[in-house]
Amino acid sequence: MPIAVEHFSRAYGAFTAVDDLSITVGPGEIVGLIGPNGAGKTTTLRALAGILLPTSGRIVVDGHDLATDGIAAKRRLAFMPDEPHLFEYLTVSEHLRLIARLYAVPDFEQRAKALLEELELVGKEQSLPGELSRGMRQKVVIACGLVRDASTLLFDEPLTGLDPLGIRKMRQTIVARGRAGAAILVSSHLLHLVEEICTRVVIMDRGKKVADGTVVELAATAEAAAGSNLEQIFLKVTGRE
Amino acid sequence: MLSASLYITSCSAKNRLRARLRRLREPRYLIGAIAGIAYFYFAIFAPRGRRAAARPGRNAPDFGAAFQMTGTSLGGLFVMLAAALPWVLPSKSKLLQFSDAEKDFLFAAPVTRRALLAHRILRSQIGSLIASLFIGLFAAPLSGPGRLRLAAGFWLILATSNIYFAAVQLTRARLQSSVGAVRAVAWVPIGLLAAGLVVVGSSVARQLMQPAAGAADVFVRLSRVTSAGLPKIVLSPFVAVIRPPFSTAAGFFPALVSAVAVLILVTAWMLMSDAMFDEVAGQGGGPVSEDQRKTKVLPARVAKVGWTLPLHGRPELALMWKGSMETMRGISAKSLRYLAPALFGVGGAAFGILQANRLRGPAAAVSIIAGIVAVAAVVFGPQIARSDLRTDFEHLDLLKTWPLRAADVIRGEMLWPAILVSSILWMAVLVAAVFSAAAAPGMPFFSRVSFALTAAIAGPALIAAQYAVHATFTIFFPAWVQIGSQRTRGIDAMGQRLIMLLAIVVSLALFALPGALGGGVVWLIFRNLVGNVVFVPAAIVFAAIVLVEVLAVTELLGPAYERIDVTSVERAE
Repeated sequence: MPIAVEHFSRAYGAFTAVDDLSITVGPGEIVGLIGPNGAGKTTTLRALAGILLPTSGRIVVDGHDLATDGIAAKRRLAFMPDEPHLFEYLTVSEHLRLIARLYAVPDFEQRAKALLEELELVGKEQSLPGELSRGMRQKVVIACGLVRDASTLLFDEPLTGLDPLGIRKMRQTIVARGRAGAAILVSSHLLHLVEEICTRVVIMDRGKKVADGTVVELAATAEAAAGSNLEQIFLKVTGRE
Repeated sequence: MLSASLYITSCSAKNRLRARLRRLREPRYLIGAIAGIAYFYFAIFAPRGRRAAARPGRNAPDFGAAFQMTGTSLGGLFVMLAAALPWVLPSKSKLLQFSDAEKDFLFAAPVTRRALLAHRILRSQIGSLIASLFIGLFAAPLSGPGRLRLAAGFWLILATSNIYFAAVQLTRARLQSSVGAVRAVAWVPIGLLAAGLVVVGSSVARQLMQPAAGAADVFVRLSRVTSAGLPKIVLSPFVAVIRPPFSTAAGFFPALVSAVAVLILVTAWMLMSDAMFDEVAGQGGGPVSEDQRKTKVLPARVAKVGWTLPLHGRPELALMWKGSMETMRGISAKSLRYLAPALFGVGGAAFGILQANRLRGPAAAVSIIAGIVAVAAVVFGPQIARSDLRTDFEHLDLLKTWPLRAADVIRGEMLWPAILVSSILWMAVLVAAVFSAAAAPGMPFFSRVSFALTAAIAGPALIAAQYAVHATFTIFFPAWVQIGSQRTRGIDAMGQRLIMLLAIVVSLALFALPGALGGGVVWLIFRNLVGNVVFVPAAIVFAAIVLVEVLAVTELLGPAYERIDVTSVERAE
């Protein structure tokens, strides 16, 4: 299983942000992680990316335990955060090159060229982050994540800052990577996006998983009216209807 | 706006204090706090014996009196030169660097730009007041009122200089205005300062051109010329700024009134210079427009570096490449402003050494200066060149996602600054060696070459050892790490700096000890055979042992790096 989170908990002092969470994401699956603010989505993604250490529980990526075999696990991961943090004095192409070196990307030049075209970054290769708009910087972060052949992709609000065309392309990119066999976990508040591209949805609330399944399964579990969309299901499941 | 500003300032201070107190629940930070408090306790209360001895003159320390007699006019000259510096070497005023939150909330609020400037002045006073109070507390021989006077005087100096530098930046921006009248007004303070510099400079130059009996003679003549006639009048506002902290009880209030008058004048000038506020505030970083982004960087510099990262190789070298890019692209003409005080210090020290050793001639001066630079590179280099883990903590989230061994990351982060500082050391040693015949005429050629090689070999090992110490502290005390230009504060952070200073000395000694023992053995065995040349193989042994220790430390730090909690790094507003 590309992503296996087992009884994961994370506390910040006395506050427990995520409590006993267990989820899995299989190859080719696109799982949406949704929940109200403070539900623990970003904490979960950051722990999956190896940024935060679990307080308890286990995170396994492609069979590699993140705690004991972190390097092998991280080699298979690509995390695209919602805030684009880039190195101020590295150009766009240098960012990609650095990532290629660190992740030992074999056919970097072709991949980089294709990605720059796909993300409409052609002509910006020699630009420093300070010269780019927020959306452009977000695209650079995404390019850094996609330039390597990661089997597991983690997106935290992937559409933040993108223009309408960028949003459409991003949707297509996520779906294409899923079809190619990648395990994808997408955290987003854009429920229509989640409903459109995700094969399964996990709903979190106050640090706990409150629902897990396809939209149809969630509707049945929540006893929502026939034809309910994800937004209606979400509100019902989280008790905010 | 004033009440809102006070509200922001007080709430932020209160909550920051709370967060720091919460941090003390962790034993490592508590130890730092205890060390800080203990230091202040001993600095303020402990030296009773010494203070008792100083009791007869406690309200009027000799230094203050001496300074009042001769030093204030020279101090005024120094302040005037410092005031001229930001016109020649522009820098960004911290007072005008609005936080992102301030930009988002206050720039959009229905308040004038002038009110925003007043807000920043108010907010900056917390830092100035705390710094001044610490200065007052440190002045152990002084009585309570004496300390208060000192603190008040230094607060005035800090407040005036902060506001002055902001006013200079705003006035410089006015020079770029498309409106002629706005530009014309900007030339007024420049004209006044230039005229003052001409008046004082010509008088000082006349004195300096006459032959002097020595440094003391130069000092006396400069004091005399700056404390009489037109130069005295020109320097009076600059002297007024620095007079209060050094005043006696009787002279304090008149000095305070003059200093406050200068502060009011500078504040009024700053507040009236708000015509180009948006341009200046935008340059501080944050939500800048597309046009401003384009002017923020110079794309031509991107192409000049010309060092492409190979796609294969050790990760340390990739991180070293990243560090070099950041340094090469981060250095600009503006960075040279840091050179001025450094050159002043090095020049002064070199002058002292030349005088003490009765050395003459440019070759001796160059050799001495290069020697001082070499020593400074080893001692201060790792404190100044911070493009290691300390700076990259800003990107800790990203670093932690990379599939790299922690030890490789730590070594990679150290590698570039260590090489950079070592290169400066090597260049300085080379220059010192080339001209060493003039600086050490009695020393044989082979001895001079041996000492130069010894410095060139042993120095980088000591530099690497210091970076290892800094990495250790960064990893074990992430909340104390200064991210970018952000400065960590709090009593525990103060304790940390003291511990850090002590730790650098102790750890350097510990690092050096095995190497020194190894080198010492070589020296003992071969000194009678090869003379001073023995220092070279001794340095090789020393450096090899120290570098092995550094490697071992980076490996040992690995598990601790893996356990760093990114939430413990203190973020700026």
